[in-house]
Amino acid sequence: MMNTLLKVDKLSKNFGDLEVLKDINLEVAEGEVICIIGPSGSGKSTLLRCINQLELQSGGNIYYNNKNIGNKDHDLRKYREEVGMTFQNFNLFPMKSVLKNIMLAPVLTKRKSKSEAEKKALELLKKVGLAEKAHSMPSTLSGGQQQRVAIARALAMEPKVLLFDEPTSALDPELVGEVLEVMKTLANEGMTMIVVTHEMTFAREVSDRVIFMDDGYIVEEDIPEEIFTNPKNERTKTFLSRIIGDENE
Amino acid sequence: MDLSFLNVLFPMLLRGFKVTLMISVFGIVIGFVLGCISGYALQCKNKFAKFIANIYIWIIRSTPIIVQALYVYFVIPEITGIDLSSNTSGIIVIFLNSGAFIAEIVRGALEGIDPGQKEAGLSLGLTPFQTLMHLIVPPAFRSMLPALFNQFIISVKDTAILSIIVVNEITKQIQNYAALSYNTIEAYTAGAIFYMMIISVLIIIQKQVERRIK
Repeated sequence: MMNTLLKVDKLSKNFGDLEVLKDINLEVAEGEVICIIGPSGSGKSTLLRCINQLELQSGGNIYYNNKNIGNKDHDLRKYREEVGMTFQNFNLFPMKSVLKNIMLAPVLTKRKSKSEAEKKALELLKKVGLAEKAHSMPSTLSGGQQQRVAIARALAMEPKVLLFDEPTSALDPELVGEVLEVMKTLANEGMTMIVVTHEMTFAREVSDRVIFMDDGYIVEEDIPEEIFTNPKNERTKTFLSRIIGDENE
Repeated sequence: MDLSFLNVLFPMLLRGFKVTLMISVFGIVIGFVLGCISGYALQCKNKFAKFIANIYIWIIRSTPIIVQALYVYFVIPEITGIDLSSNTSGIIVIFLNSGAFIAEIVRGALEGIDPGQKEAGLSLGLTPFQTLMHLIVPPAFRSMLPALFNQFIISVKDTAILSIIVVNEITKQIQNYAALSYNTIEAYTAGAIFYMMIISVLIIIQKQVERRIK
């Protein structure tokens, strides 16, 4: 059994009267790839944002390497260096070139020299297949290219865990593949990943475990084969039949 | 046309220009700093800072600048016992006034930045301050430049009000000349043209800066 890297314990989150997350328990082992699926508004993204502490939970705890990240003496900034995140809308820095987008954080937070950071950034761009775009501005790139730059930017911090918040939801269908391809490569290299996604084929092929969320709860979690061929919960069944029905259209 | 009146008026305008320039530069620079701080306070989470900034802006926006000038020049020394020269009072009026309007410009620009930028910065391990300085301020500054220049121009013209508290700026000089010479038409026409020349220079600088940034 691999080390547990992340542990979410009885997590809850309210926005005013609205309960978005209810009693969430989740353990993520080193090198594990987890896909979170479920209908819109089920709390998938909020869970991811809580893990990165972009939203603060209303109750429960999150442990990283057995340390409670909510403790006052815990260095949240350092934690975020190790737990990277990519967003649905990429959130590239529009006034900076692709290269500078990737170099910014390593130079600022890891005190890397510019040449060192640039070398690493170019390597990463090559890895995501965008070496020739190093000096382009983000606005000149397609959505798929922007998301690949965002992944390279997150990788530049050499994270231990990568969180993907619907990385392909804002993309034109023909651009989804190139992003998933990069993510597949990362998964094969042993990166620990939590992916909120609507890409069922990806979830089925790449993940070690699939989590189905609905109405703020984790309704079902299992290996992909079980979830997709033999879902136990009625809500999982309904959701999957609707989604997979769509995919076959 | 006889322009010989300029032999007397022009040196007066130049003396006034020096004062106008000095007050504008100090007033706008300090006002810019004050406006940035207040504008940041307006949209931050600290309720106390927000409250103070709102009170300040409310006072400035709800009183005419001429009343502010009279208040700073006559009332503040009476209350505090600190004697302010008319030039110092002038600078205070301009920076207090421009600061309030710049604060609103800054707030709007900061609120116009996609919150995803801040989240991306934080998620990369940047501190909130690094996120602000590297990711929020540069695009916010770019987007607020036109409004900012507009406010600078208004502030330069607002210095004319300070003639009422005997600041010897351009308008005061024009009034002095008109009173002495009775050449009312010449005095105020030349004065207006002089202002137009100064503001035109500012407008040209604004266009250049905006073009360069694009």
